[in-house]
Amino acid sequence: MEINSLTAAEIAGGIAEKKFSASEVFSSCMEAVHRGEPDISALITVAEETGQAAAREIDRRIAGGEKPGPLAGVPIVMKDNMCIRGLPATCGSRMLHGWIPPYDAAVAELLSGAGAVFAGKANMDEFAMGGSTEFSAFGPTSNPWDLERVPGGSSGGSAAAVAAGYVPVSLGSDTGGSIRQPASFCGLYGLKPTYGLVSRWGLVAFASSLDQIGPFARTVEDLALLLSVIARPDPRDGTSSRRERPDYTACVKNPSLKGKKVAVVKEFGAMSASVSPEVREALEKTLSLCREEGAEIVEVSLPVSLEFGLPCYYILAPAEASSNLARFDGVRYGLSSKEDSLLELYLRTRGKGFGSEVKRRILTGTYVLSSGYYDAYYLTAQKVRSLMKEEFRRAFGSCDLIALPTSPTPAFKKGELVNDPIQMYLADVFTLPVNLAELPALSLNAGFTSGKKPLPLGVQLIASRWGEPELLNAAAVLERRLGIAGTAPCTKNGKGGRS
Amino acid sequence: MNVVYVPVIGLEIHVQLSTATKIFCSCSTDYIGAEPNSNVCPVCLGLPGTLPVLNKKAVELGVKGGLALSCQIRSHTVFHRKNYFYPDLPKAYQISQYDLPLAEGGQIFITGDDGKQKKIRITRLHLEEDAGKLVHSASDGRLEGAAFSCVDYNRGGVPLAEIVSEPDMASPREARDYVARIRQIVRYIGISDGDMENGSLRVDANISIQKTDGETGEILYWGERSEIKNMNSMRAVERALEYEIRRQEAVLRQGGTLDRETRHWNDSDGITASMRSKEAANDYRYFPDPDLPPIEVTGSMLQEIQFSLPEMPWAREERFTVQYGLSREDAVFLAESAALADFFEGCVGGGASPLRASNWVRTEVLRVMNEQGLPVGEFPVAPSSLGELVAMVDRGKLSTTVAREVFGLMAGGKTLADSLTAAGASSGGLSEEAVAQMAQKVLQANPDVVDEILSGRDTKGKKTKFLLGLVMKESRGQAAADAAARILEKLLNDRR
Repeated sequence: MEINSLTAAEIAGGIAEKKFSASEVFSSCMEAVHRGEPDISALITVAEETGQAAAREIDRRIAGGEKPGPLAGVPIVMKDNMCIRGLPATCGSRMLHGWIPPYDAAVAELLSGAGAVFAGKANMDEFAMGGSTEFSAFGPTSNPWDLERVPGGSSGGSAAAVAAGYVPVSLGSDTGGSIRQPASFCGLYGLKPTYGLVSRWGLVAFASSLDQIGPFARTVEDLALLLSVIARPDPRDGTSSRRERPDYTACVKNPSLKGKKVAVVKEFGAMSASVSPEVREALEKTLSLCREEGAEIVEVSLPVSLEFGLPCYYILAPAEASSNLARFDGVRYGLSSKEDSLLELYLRTRGKGFGSEVKRRILTGTYVLSSGYYDAYYLTAQKVRSLMKEEFRRAFGSCDLIALPTSPTPAFKKGELVNDPIQMYLADVFTLPVNLAELPALSLNAGFTSGKKPLPLGVQLIASRWGEPELLNAAAVLERRLGIAGTAPCTKNGKGGRS
Repeated sequence: MNVVYVPVIGLEIHVQLSTATKIFCSCSTDYIGAEPNSNVCPVCLGLPGTLPVLNKKAVELGVKGGLALSCQIRSHTVFHRKNYFYPDLPKAYQISQYDLPLAEGGQIFITGDDGKQKKIRITRLHLEEDAGKLVHSASDGRLEGAAFSCVDYNRGGVPLAEIVSEPDMASPREARDYVARIRQIVRYIGISDGDMENGSLRVDANISIQKTDGETGEILYWGERSEIKNMNSMRAVERALEYEIRRQEAVLRQGGTLDRETRHWNDSDGITASMRSKEAANDYRYFPDPDLPPIEVTGSMLQEIQFSLPEMPWAREERFTVQYGLSREDAVFLAESAALADFFEGCVGGGASPLRASNWVRTEVLRVMNEQGLPVGEFPVAPSSLGELVAMVDRGKLSTTVAREVFGLMAGGKTLADSLTAAGASSGGLSEEAVAQMAQKVLQANPDVVDEILSGRDTKGKKTKFLLGLVMKESRGQAAADAAARILEKLLNDRR
């Protein structure tokens, strides 16, 4: 059986109807992993034994007449910055060498509670800092659509694992675009939820006020299914919203864009020169499909967000990161350099443990929080962030959705930007404002580049706070028109193109 | 010109709040005597991926403390991260408060060096988490010379209230009085046990010296301040400050200058030594903790806590002098702790006269408490029972001697009634008949003394008193002296 063509909903349904067993599904998943990994390197840890045991347990429970949940037997991959008790959590860093979390992330509890089976932990840019998965201490991941290219990042491993057909769904984390951009590069749906919708308990923090966990999937139905499982209030996370969550799977049942207002951004026009023509065309195509489906296309203005979002982000995120990553000091867990003095222990452990991009951001963050610079940088950026929230709030007074590219370009080549941090940062210009404004946004596949190796093109839809139903509804409408995103062609698992 | 050197002292007091669980996780705060690193969890160990969740009780106790110190309570307050590396700090930042503390702008009164009440302004009270404890392998427990150090995180995450005073104290004695007052307040309102020896109340002092013109009071020169740490008792606070004043004054007298620095009090050597200078001071890079939403202290919460505040010690002292006619000294003594003051008032409630109750509590009760090593709260005699007993003395039904004996039995666990019986005293004392019989016996045994009295030669009443003494002795002190005197007089008159 080839599970790489099945969706999570189909797998869970098939297992419940006893068409196949969870163990069979998991074996098939492992075959795909072993076939694909030499080329892709999407996973840091393959959880073969624990996964097999979990799948057998699901089969035993089903045989006993139980209903193990909406994701029963669905193999899933989690980004390696989320804790699963007993499996290493590396965050793509040497720093956490040997550390095995003694507890489960909230999302891990919810997923296993819903019957999902963990197949592995996905590669990522170190501590989620980067947009290509090249900043992983475990080496880069390849884009399943073109092995010469990056899968995006920082959740590149999670995206590649789904695109390569190892698993139907995965989880990533998004601080400035780290789900949406790899979804765009790998031809998937990727959702960054409203800040506070998904618990951050057990997610190793990068920038606490921006981090959110979200799903990758090949279908909108799966995206909604996964979101409905993980979007739960959690008293262990002080920033987790207590509001009631709707049934997200219902949002995709009878989708319609009739009467909806989809906005283009006025300032995007002036920026479009720096956006690749194929990305611009994909956006145009998406907008015309929306219009055909009965939506009205309107214009909103987001001058602060598009001009100052990037510098604002690259002050606030490093500031929080510099503090969040201070705990990696070699005293309690992970890498510890044996030295004669405390200061040497700190310096050498952190010197060896962190990669260049992490060091760059820790230095930036330490600088902007330093006395004498705090007001000019951190405080100013916080003010800008407030303006951005207000700007988006006003914009959503006149529209339901905002459409922007996810990334200015399709997947770039490995090594192309790795030594050019500024260009790498500029690639986040359309995704960062969403995190700063705490909004939900979704990246969908809206076509491919022409050429011998077609590359996926992503479009981003942004909604107002708690507007996930709006996003899922629109994505479901567009999915009917665009077709279902398939697995990538460049791997031994892939079929290529759309079904 | 008459140059006078005036110390300027401000204190920072860290008080462990008596919550059952830590400030950001559900681990127990009861770490005294616990195995190292047994009261810990992923949150207070700062493991990757964990998040703090605020213990509401800590906020309530903080607000209570702020109100007791007459502070303004902020309706909107924020936790900040104070970033610095040290092995006792598992996240490498301490969750504390910075520019939006829970409480600000309060005051308390101490006894100034001139014997009058002196106002000490409270700058702020804020909440923060305690750090773990380092145990160094060196023989003296100090870092220097230690081959290795162990960290115990049991204390990490215990809620602290940091109370910062303005530099309003002018002597080590005033500083000590201030610490005593703060300790009394936190104990009164039940937010901390205030125990310095166990480290649940810790004092850091900022001290500088002003060189002033003795006639005009004009400040001629103000030396840099130093911060003194590691003073683990009231006595240590006083001694360390006395030392530091001598040291700073000596430097200034010799025309030297002082650096702003942190100094460590070494109690056994009786000196302070420099730990670090201002140049090496940390830049803590404070910023609002993004994991913790701002705390809103609502009007109703504030009102509820305000109502829950007990009568404060100064108010109680005042009331004891007015309501009960106690001397200021006795009132202060009894109001020292809420438990002792409650005991005293329980005694009065049991029927005792306030003055005699005060006397009994300050002497008998404290003596037995010290003998048995008990806190007031666990004292075996109920204050109302003691009140009944003291009331018998008040009414002359019982002599003080017998009452003491009865009290001793009660302190051993007996009830009032049983103790009275066991001491051979009924609650009404000896009957008049019994006393009369004894007096008759005494008169018969001493005919010549009786003759002397009857002949009118006992002008000063000495002989009568001698006979009364014999009657009391005969009754083994169980007769009430005034009753015995009355009966004796009557019998003597009968013979006239």
